[in-house]
Amino acid sequence: MSRKQLDMTLLALAGLISFGLPLLIESPTYLQILILLFFYAYLTTSWNLVGGFAGVLPLGHAVFVGIGAYTSTILALQFNLSPWFGMLVGGMVAALVGVAIGKPTFRMRGAYFALCTIAFSEGVRVMIENIDSLGPIKFNGPRGLLIPLKGESFWNYQFMHKEPYYYIILTMLVLVLALTWFISRSKMGYYLAAGGDEPDAAQALGVDVAKYKLIALGLSSFLTALAGTFYAQLMLYFYPKGILGLDLSFEIAFIALIGGRGMIAGPLIGALVLRPLNEFTRIYLSNQLPGLHLVIFGLILILVMLFQPKGLTLPLTRLYDRLASKITTTGA
Amino acid sequence: MNILEISEVTKNFGGLTALNDVDMHIAKGEILALIGPNGAGKSTMFDCVAGVYPPSSGTIRFKGKSIAGLKPWDLCRLGLARTFQIVKPFAARTVLYNVMVGAFLRTSSTDKARDKALSVLETLRLDHRKDMLAGTLTIADRKRLEIAKALATEPELLLLDEVMAGLRPTEMDDMIAIIRQLRGNGITVFIIEHIMRAVMALSDRVVVIHFGEKIAEGAPEDVTRDENVIKAYLGSDYATS
Amino acid sequence: MNTLLQAVVDGIMMGAIYGLTALGLTLIFGVMKVVNFAHGSLLMVGMFAAYWFIKLTGIHPYLALVVVPPVLFFFGYFMQDIVIKPVFKAEREVREPLTVIIVTTGVWYVLDNLALMLFGAEYRTVRTAITGISFSLDSIIVSLPKLSGFVVSVGTAVGLWCFMRKTRIGRALQATSLDRETANLMGVNQYRIYNIAFGIGTAVAGVAGCVIIPFYYVYPSVGVVFDIRAFIIVVLGGLGSIRGAMLGGIVIGLVESVFSQFMTSTWTEAIIYAIFLTILFVKPSGLLGNKLDW
Repeated sequence: MSRKQLDMTLLALAGLISFGLPLLIESPTYLQILILLFFYAYLTTSWNLVGGFAGVLPLGHAVFVGIGAYTSTILALQFNLSPWFGMLVGGMVAALVGVAIGKPTFRMRGAYFALCTIAFSEGVRVMIENIDSLGPIKFNGPRGLLIPLKGESFWNYQFMHKEPYYYIILTMLVLVLALTWFISRSKMGYYLAAGGDEPDAAQALGVDVAKYKLIALGLSSFLTALAGTFYAQLMLYFYPKGILGLDLSFEIAFIALIGGRGMIAGPLIGALVLRPLNEFTRIYLSNQLPGLHLVIFGLILILVMLFQPKGLTLPLTRLYDRLASKITTTGA
Repeated sequence: MNILEISEVTKNFGGLTALNDVDMHIAKGEILALIGPNGAGKSTMFDCVAGVYPPSSGTIRFKGKSIAGLKPWDLCRLGLARTFQIVKPFAARTVLYNVMVGAFLRTSSTDKARDKALSVLETLRLDHRKDMLAGTLTIADRKRLEIAKALATEPELLLLDEVMAGLRPTEMDDMIAIIRQLRGNGITVFIIEHIMRAVMALSDRVVVIHFGEKIAEGAPEDVTRDENVIKAYLGSDYATS
Repeated sequence: MNTLLQAVVDGIMMGAIYGLTALGLTLIFGVMKVVNFAHGSLLMVGMFAAYWFIKLTGIHPYLALVVVPPVLFFFGYFMQDIVIKPVFKAEREVREPLTVIIVTTGVWYVLDNLALMLFGAEYRTVRTAITGISFSLDSIIVSLPKLSGFVVSVGTAVGLWCFMRKTRIGRALQATSLDRETANLMGVNQYRIYNIAFGIGTAVAGVAGCVIIPFYYVYPSVGVVFDIRAFIIVVLGGLGSIRGAMLGGIVIGLVESVFSQFMTSTWTEAIIYAIFLTILFVKPSGLLGNKLDW
């Protein structure tokens, strides 16, 4: 078996398994954990477009998740529009907002950019928590929005069982992974990486660094907002602190950094490591010792940064390379 | 025809005058060397020409058009490429990746960019290093990579900032041959250089600046005999190299 | 009119204390070019240290000022030495060590939740010798703990400012902040300087802890409240500037107390963010920031 065949076989196997998992998993709780795992992998892959490839550190991406959720939900509640349509509108609003904050902040040092994204997303959260209603449009302040049950319907983006949600987010994840794969091999990927590594050198080679960062942020914001709508329809309820809060923003960044910033598989690997850890430590440890799971979370983050500052994808790739070369040589 | 015309260019940084009313030009196909002691304003001149910052006064014309308001990436698109005195490779990426960034200026196709980059690497005899990480290269190879990146943008005018510094004599001979070959391919070359042996071997014409002012201009042999130049700068340096 | 004057006085006193909470952050950024996301947690550690010290010994809070900051200095010194320095070394070649920011975030998670495990989530207050005491000047009521907090804050800022200019260590800190490589060449040990900067930044958080504890509660995530505010203050005043941090703090304190005369406190918070974003668009280097430091 050649290396390429091995890669393809494993990829097909992974595809088959992820496609068939809902048939094997009976418990909605576990299916929900998987759905959220893919949800986070999707969010982090979108984040990676700007946080990884463009070499900046956005720490307020929850604002785009929130924009997505609020836009589609408000359009559905007030104007009876399909959340699928609202999802696209939310994405476009998020892209505009992303470009608007990127324009002044990309001129600054990375640390400034990180702080500004935090302050911006917190500012939006505080605003929304203050608004009960804006004219006829209800925001419900800190209590958030509840999406009334309308019964199973694709048009309404509501399903009685978890499986449809699972396949929706799986499709979204596969598409966004394919998109990043495509971008990383295109002119845009090369330009983003060059601008992130050495902006002066990149500019001297004809790269308008700020422009490409803005495009990346716009695209990233758009994609992130789509997941906001998904989350709203999955939970049928959301509130500012959860969907616009710093915890979500930081978790996205952590997954990316632990998995490997700027690598295509990084977000997926990060989510595969952190999400189950997060869920299980919370379920099993938080009752006895509240906070222990977050101490573990923090320690893992510190240890990975100390010993694998480029994330876990790199050592895992090396391990796979070694195993693969054994299989391909002995198996031939 | 002059590909680059610099007239009455002055550049102040706060109270410091780095360039004072400098005039110079480069004819198409020429190799011009800009020399002068450390801090004379050579790199400032490059930065002004390459669009890093605008001159405080005076005009710079590239291919007959004023470059006022143009950014480095605009100028690069017009056919002006530069290297940095302190080389700036994309250290964590391969040599090929580095050069492809430059090659993407003239194409959006990854395959075409790769082909272009490979041919540039061949020209610079760096193709055997194409899969190495740029950060692991030797000084000599880093300097070549720096040129390869600039060359991949298909420039008409190439600004080379001290590409000989840190090279051993044999490496320097290779570099001189490479630069001659570039000119042979129709590229105009503007170099800043400290090493007089290279300046003498390469340049058609030399401009000397000192404390931001032009003090001499002419053929290399004439300039090195100029008394002002010897006094200002060459004296000890020339004798040792 | 009187209520407005009262609000201005309160705002300036509280603002200076906010400035104090941001001083360590701005100092560490100035020297290391790293935003310390664990800053709020260090403040929390300072507040808990002051809390337990005062609670267990019944000592006057001003005495805590002599004990807590030195302890916190060593805490910060060794935290930088053990946890952060290795990342710095690994990222030496990187222009901007963003990984370090993430490590400090990890430290924040660990510290906050260790405190949660040790002390529980409840809000704690301790009655000190000055808690609740106030006096009136004409018709203005001045709270003693806030007034002394104001005095200590301004004193600390002035002291730090002089320290940076007049002492050998202070000048070494400044040299490193301007140009690490050159400072290294001049015989300044970059990493020891970082340890010291981190130590001082943490000690200042300790001072803030002692100042705040007589009139505020402490709980494990209290740092987050001050953290985001400190970020806004330093960006407002100019990252790395000591005077900027105090000015930014006072601006925020004034906005908060004056605007709260006219609207709910959650709206004042929104206004603070709005001011922050305006500054960002108009003058990104902040009120007193160094343009080179963007």
